[in-house]
Amino acid sequence: MGIAYISVQWNRQKKFYDAVLVGGVAVYLSVFGALTKSLFPFVTDEIMLMRAFGTAAFLLLHVILAIGPLSRLNPKFLPLLYNRRHAGVTLFLLALVHATLVILTYHAGSTVNPIASIFISSPLNGAVTGVPFQPFGFFALVILFLLAATSHDFWLANLSAPVWKSLHMLVYFAYALLVLHVTFGVLQGETHPLYVGATAAGLLGVVGLQLVAARKTRPLDEEKAPDSGPDGFVDACAVADIPENRARIVCLSGERVAIFKYDGKVSAVSNLCQHQNGPLGEGKIIYGCITCPWHGYQYAPDTGAAPAPFVEKVPTFKVQVRGGRVFVHPQPNPAGTQVEPALIAAPATIL
Amino acid sequence: MKQPDEFYIGWEAKAAPGIGKTIRITVGGLLAVVVVAAIAFALAQRLITDGVFEWGHLKMVSGVLESQPYPHLLVTRPGKVAGLPGFSSYYLVAPWKFGLPQDAIAPFAGKPVTVKGTLIYRGGQTMIETKPEWIQATAPSAPAITPTPVSLGRQTLTGEIVDSKCFLGVMNPGQYLPHRACAIRCISGGVPPILVVHAQDGSLTHFLLVSAAGQPVNQQVLNLVAEPVEITGEVVRQGELLILSADPATYRRRK
Repeated sequence: MGIAYISVQWNRQKKFYDAVLVGGVAVYLSVFGALTKSLFPFVTDEIMLMRAFGTAAFLLLHVILAIGPLSRLNPKFLPLLYNRRHAGVTLFLLALVHATLVILTYHAGSTVNPIASIFISSPLNGAVTGVPFQPFGFFALVILFLLAATSHDFWLANLSAPVWKSLHMLVYFAYALLVLHVTFGVLQGETHPLYVGATAAGLLGVVGLQLVAARKTRPLDEEKAPDSGPDGFVDACAVADIPENRARIVCLSGERVAIFKYDGKVSAVSNLCQHQNGPLGEGKIIYGCITCPWHGYQYAPDTGAAPAPFVEKVPTFKVQVRGGRVFVHPQPNPAGTQVEPALIAAPATIL
Repeated sequence: MKQPDEFYIGWEAKAAPGIGKTIRITVGGLLAVVVVAAIAFALAQRLITDGVFEWGHLKMVSGVLESQPYPHLLVTRPGKVAGLPGFSSYYLVAPWKFGLPQDAIAPFAGKPVTVKGTLIYRGGQTMIETKPEWIQATAPSAPAITPTPVSLGRQTLTGEIVDSKCFLGVMNPGQYLPHRACAIRCISGGVPPILVVHAQDGSLTHFLLVSAAGQPVNQQVLNLVAEPVEITGEVVRQGELLILSADPATYRRRK
């Protein structure tokens, strides 16, 4: 949660995350580089480094793209999501080194501007050799730069979560460009079946994971809003359907609503965390607050407001409990509006 | 037994035990994949050759400079080897992606010179990267070398057009499609284009490309670089060099 912007709010888990990330990248580069130099002593350093950084970046991109759907399939993978942006920035740096080496070796030192050379030095000729694989890589790098440059919460807050998230969905476009970059580039030279197989397996893995994760969440999206009564409240679910300190997510009038049960009460808030639009309904009541599963942002269940001094707020919904069922009014209240929680058991009558 | 309702909060000091165990196993698996991938991707490389670019090491080489069809240096071979001429032919090119400018070396054409430069070599072929100001005329110290062209007849050859500088070792690998843009820049900058022909036994032969009139064809071959082409023309052996003379308009792209 943030109230002031600092570069990174380090804690033990973040340090562990980054140590594994940097260590993994270093191990890959070292093993690939040392083995290449050993097997092919005449390889030039720039080609060896170009290949090491290029393959490392492409491999890391697959890991990054797998984290989202894996976390949707099993919340135990959420720690991988927590600092995914650090992996994204690392990916951009690896790709930048690869691209810099490519430009210096393949494009610099001629009569043409090296950047312009990327676009004009391998012209279309009606054959597979004319497919512009280097421009694919260039545009992918531009996208990765945009994502890395806007990865900080400063940009998330200023662009708003929906805009920021839409921008960062461009990573899939970058991935598509890079698959084309690899397919019409190195795979046209290095034809060992391992490279073709690994690229195909990576593509199938990324697409397959997304499809499986989408199948898991689709029934929720397709859930129709039950008929509303004369008071406008909608029969959302049974109280018994909601685990203690957890939520049930329902789709009301096209919006996902998280209905939490805690301390004998029920409250309903928007399912979208203000931080990164994470699924609050997959969160938990911790220390009396709804806690987002993605980055731990917290909101009071009755007001939808983050505890002071934090300032994030989410919309709340009026809620009633009648006959063991939860009724929610589908009209959202402005973010941070206090709504009296519904009591699960009627208060005892004092005689 | 009911599983504990674990929940991950990144800003807490420690993850819940079950989640921590899952992550430790996942990270261990990922690191194993990283090592296996690095080994497999390195082992599967096929295009890196034994070409060498002695970057940073300048040497002095003496011989007779020939400017046509592309600048090269005829260097007397020490000792006699059966079946080989008494001299070697070293291509001469400029730094980066340029050939040596003809007007700058014209005064040295056919004369003995000493060239300072960096050696590039692959197989039996050598090239020197130099600059016009690093070429100095010297007094003749040996009988003049005059290679006699020997016609090997009209031949149809299939191979790949590459720039000789990268192919011989400046880039390694310096051929095939990933290298196309660089090859086009080098050839358009004056580096001699050659046709690399793969024999069935895996050996490579390369032919210096010239027009039917024996002139450089750099600008005419750019659209056919780094892909299979078929060229029919007159092959001439000139010392060590194999020269293929054909009109570039007759080059055919192979499917």
